[in-house]
Amino acid sequence: MANMTLKLLVWRQPGPTVPGRLVPYTADQISPDMSFLEMLDVVNEGLIRKGEEAIAFDSDCSEGICGTCSLVVIGIPHGPQRGTTVCQLHMRHFHDGETITIEPWRARAFPVVKDLVVNRSAFDRIIAAGGYVSVNVGGAPDGNTLPIGKKTADLAMDSAACIGCGACVAACKNASAHLFVGAKISHLALMPQGEVERYERAARMVAQMDAEGFGSCSNEGECEAVCPKEIPISNIARMIREYSKALSTHRKWQWKATTSE
Amino acid sequence: MTLDSKVPAGPIAEKWDRHKFQVKLVNPANKRKHTVIIVGTGLAGASAASALGELGYQVLSFCIQDSPRRAHSIAAQGGINAAKNYQNDGDSVYRLFYDTVKGGDYRSREANVYRLAQISVNIIDQCVAQGVPFAREYGGLLDNRSFGGAQVSRTFYARGQTGQQLLLGAYQSMMRQVDRGNVKVFARREMLDLVVVDGKARGIVVRNLTTGELETYAADAILLCTGGYGTVFYLSTNAVNSNVTASWRAHKRGALFANPCYTQIHPTCIPVSGEHQSKLTLMSESLRNDGRVWVPKKKGDHRPPNQIPEDERDYYLERKYPSFGNLVPRDVASRNAKQVCDDGRGVGESGLAVYLDFKDAIGRLGRGVIESRYGNLFQMYEKITDENPYEVPMRIFPAVHYTMGGLWVDYNLMSTVPGLHVLGEANFSDHGANRLGASALMQGLADGYFVIPYTLGHYIASTPLPKVSTDAEPFKEAKASVQDRINKLLAVKGHRTIREFHRELGRVMWDHVGMSRNAEGLQRALTEIPKLREQFWHEVSVPGTPDNLNQSLEHAGRVADYLEFAELIALDALERGESCGCHFREESQTPDNEALRDDEHYSYAAAWGFNGVGQRPTLNKEPLTFEEVHLSQRSYK
Amino acid sequence: MPPQPKIGQSSIGTKIVISISSFFLILFLLLHLAGNVLVFFGPATFNGYSHALIANPLLIPIEIILAVIFLIHIYKTIRMWVRNRGARPVPYARKEWAHHTSRKSFSSTTMILSGAVILLFVVIHLETFKFGPDYLVAGSGQVRDLYRLEMEIFSNPLTVAFYALVMLLIGSHLWHGVSSAFQSLGADSPRWKRTFRVGGRLIAIIIAVGFIVIPIWVYFAGGRS
Ligand SMILES: Cc1cc2nc3c(=O)[nH]c(=O)nc-3n(C[C@H](O)[C@H](O)[C@H](O)COP(=O)(O)OP(=O)(O)OC[C@H]3O[C@@H](n4cnc5c(N)ncnc54)[C@H](O)[C@@H]3O)c2cc1C
Ligand code: SF4
Ligand code: FES
Repeated sequence: MANMTLKLLVWRQPGPTVPGRLVPYTADQISPDMSFLEMLDVVNEGLIRKGEEAIAFDSDCSEGICGTCSLVVIGIPHGPQRGTTVCQLHMRHFHDGETITIEPWRARAFPVVKDLVVNRSAFDRIIAAGGYVSVNVGGAPDGNTLPIGKKTADLAMDSAACIGCGACVAACKNASAHLFVGAKISHLALMPQGEVERYERAARMVAQMDAEGFGSCSNEGECEAVCPKEIPISNIARMIREYSKALSTHRKWQWKATTSE
Repeated sequence: MTLDSKVPAGPIAEKWDRHKFQVKLVNPANKRKHTVIIVGTGLAGASAASALGELGYQVLSFCIQDSPRRAHSIAAQGGINAAKNYQNDGDSVYRLFYDTVKGGDYRSREANVYRLAQISVNIIDQCVAQGVPFAREYGGLLDNRSFGGAQVSRTFYARGQTGQQLLLGAYQSMMRQVDRGNVKVFARREMLDLVVVDGKARGIVVRNLTTGELETYAADAILLCTGGYGTVFYLSTNAVNSNVTASWRAHKRGALFANPCYTQIHPTCIPVSGEHQSKLTLMSESLRNDGRVWVPKKKGDHRPPNQIPEDERDYYLERKYPSFGNLVPRDVASRNAKQVCDDGRGVGESGLAVYLDFKDAIGRLGRGVIESRYGNLFQMYEKITDENPYEVPMRIFPAVHYTMGGLWVDYNLMSTVPGLHVLGEANFSDHGANRLGASALMQGLADGYFVIPYTLGHYIASTPLPKVSTDAEPFKEAKASVQDRINKLLAVKGHRTIREFHRELGRVMWDHVGMSRNAEGLQRALTEIPKLREQFWHEVSVPGTPDNLNQSLEHAGRVADYLEFAELIALDALERGESCGCHFREESQTPDNEALRDDEHYSYAAAWGFNGVGQRPTLNKEPLTFEEVHLSQRSYK
Repeated sequence: MPPQPKIGQSSIGTKIVISISSFFLILFLLLHLAGNVLVFFGPATFNGYSHALIANPLLIPIEIILAVIFLIHIYKTIRMWVRNRGARPVPYARKEWAHHTSRKSFSSTTMILSGAVILLFVVIHLETFKFGPDYLVAGSGQVRDLYRLEMEIFSNPLTVAFYALVMLLIGSHLWHGVSSAFQSLGADSPRWKRTFRVGGRLIAIIIAVGFIVIPIWVYFAGGRS
């Protein structure tokens, strides 16, 4: 396949409080074997040579596992290929002369830092609110003490596969984080190790999620469709069940006492 | 400088237990009064932060990524070793210890390795308790696989995402401590200098990558958990933000750098497809359990692989190493791939690849089994190359993957700067000249969960640590020097991109300090690197301003450090005239081209002291003595 | 420390309230439809049914409860909608549907609009029928001749068209709404997923078609005597 020339419309925004706009660029000599981010590297090199500021975008592993890359490509988070992060999206899926818009994740809870880079620390705060099993180092029993059925383990792993990229939020018309939070709550609720704190965890994580300003779920499933790990929205349903049980049994756990020493 | 490894006395199996008893303890009520800085949130950093937070220390945790969960450890695919012997196949702490020392080609410190093997057992328990969804057998017990040439099945895994799951476990435990107020996370911060006050490491200077501001933090001890320096080769399997900056700047402040030339080249990566490439993708080593490696027997045979008849294929690993076959250790597999390609028998467009063929395995086990074992890897391969590995053999080639070298540490994981501890891939300790598959995750978690809580406590309890403030002179000096370097980078205003220099440095390193090294090439590298550095400081273009997110500036700073550090790798490689593990010196090989160790002259860890950029560093030697393991020439025939 | 949750106020609680209220509304629609179908059996049956309904002393309390549920449904959805708007203050310059497994549809993207139209319609509809002209069945004293009223109203083609259009919108609202309500209650499993989705759409079709057929039949057939 021959090299391509593409027209890019890239969101440039100098800082969090400054308005941004789409700026046109031409990407020349793009090989179909390049990844989308390598294509941007090429564009950036051109800019740097001219002494212009490079387009800021987040990336790290380039393997679809760290969840750092976060671009909305032609209107779809991570681009049109199913189950693929934008770092794994290759240019062979585009055609010569195509116009490609590139925008950041957009959500109140993910404010833009610069250009295509956003701040996703809201996810960290949601995890801090209860996305863990409260075990200290040292006291763990032997790993094989509790057998876990392969099916359960696999199901938990399906949920645990979430890379925390935030594409679900970016895709959702309500900027809802239900899929991300649902996946984490599911992972731990399915494992016997997470059983003890499951309801408190669900209640606390959902409360934090709401406090961060994410929207709620309209059950459209756009999140599932763009999720690079294809996390199904059955995770959201499970979260709702956990949460409902949490609220209906909320006298059994104490909202605060268990969490502060 | 004499290097005191502080290895405790006594029989090897009792050293750690004795040491744990002998170390001083910090009174529980006092822990709260001590601040610990942890740079890095990979397996080593996150596990240390959670363990120390649980004990009650005030932990400040820093990372470059926007979230601690994204540290490079997340990319590890294959698995983590532990001497659980759940499979009843003859594993034991002693065997894991023995395999690791042997796999490291007898260039590691016995006592450290033994401790690592001992602790491996607790790591799995801890991770399971955190809810890490390890693979299970139908009966509900933990599943194991054999990995990277081990003859026992001791590797625990979570699909192809073991690193991710382990890191999430550690990260979640750390976030629990954030919730309890014991750990504070500072994401998007890059450590740019170490602050030494009265001879002790007491603080760091970081750049807030969002605002560009230089911030200083003071503490009673510093833990560097900043990972490896594989990206000095430009192309590697490491995440693109990996760097040597933190270690290098600590080195400039007095921490010795040990064995920098021990860099591991992983045999199974997706080959380079063009100049544009910025990162190589690892295909898990586990693929070699079922895939067969081959090249055509004829030179320059350009037929498509499926048209090459069986008797015209050379399954060279099976031919040369009948007992280990495709499962020889990484260094051996990589070197052989290079040899057949140098021989003109490489495949693919560039001729820099060999085949990894699953046809026989699919025939024997069925496509379903192969899919369940490697489905996601095959998918990833197809995404990148647009080829279907169920139908055509994969093309693979070695790539830089891991760095065994790192800051020198003693048995307590403390560097030569008191108070500066180094954990995980950033230190040099446990893998000698070659790391076995699935052992890095083990080491990172061992250091963080189970070693540092004891040894750090000992340091704090036994060292007078008067309060320091970030207004103290050393902090101001360090901050000013960082500011100065940033200003200099921005002032060059040349016309060449940072990436050009990085790429060029990578080429020099790969050609002369790569898989196979000789004195002449290393000398050439030692003249080319300073030249390149010189050009960099005159011709590089770093656009933008320092007062906001500026990724060009970040990258430029890292490349500038690599341009200094690369020289040290080449020098270390030159100095070590033997072949050992991943360090292959062409001058030192057996008649059939295997690595030849020289225990008489090189049985030491080389720990280098900094004397200024471009100045010859000082070589300090920590002699390695082997009381338990019998030194032998490795053979996988 | 996240704030302590208040039941019904969280994003999930809100969805649960909306779903439960919607089930009552759907139930009402199905009963309403079942009653209306009696129109096909002529004035005696139809007026007899409606009189039995009106004369029942439980009607008023039930109507009040229904109205409250309806208002809760509306209040909660509007609040949620406002909050959801606020969750993305800067819109995308370009946004496409993700396809693949997404169930985004015309119906799902217009819930708030179809809902608003339905609200408007309900007002008009109540005015037309419930509070419309009090025709009495000759010689019965108290019995309202709703049959006659219906015949009259649906003799106007514009009214028929308006009703048909609104019923299509109700169908659209339910097309996404019914299965969505199940999902919002956490009712989802690989086994039931399809049933909920298909079942929900079936209910939507039944309700929409049922309510459309009646005015059209009246208009063309002119009723029975
Ligand atoms: C593709 C791949 C697959 C692998 N698979 C396996 C496997 O299957 N089994 C196995 O055992 N090992 C594997 N490894 C090796 C293993 O993943 C790493 O050696 C290990 O994870 C390193 O962990 P760490 O905690 O030392 O550092 P890292 O995980 O690299 O973390 C480094 C941290 O330091 C931070 N940091 C770095 N520099 C700075 C700075 N200047 N300022 C502030 N913060 C800084 C980073 O932000 C990051 O948080 C693999 C490696 C790769 C590349
Ligand atoms: S659920 Fe999917 S899209 Fe959402 S954060 Fe996790 S991996 Fe990303
Ligand atoms: S860069 Fe890591 S997922 Fe894309």
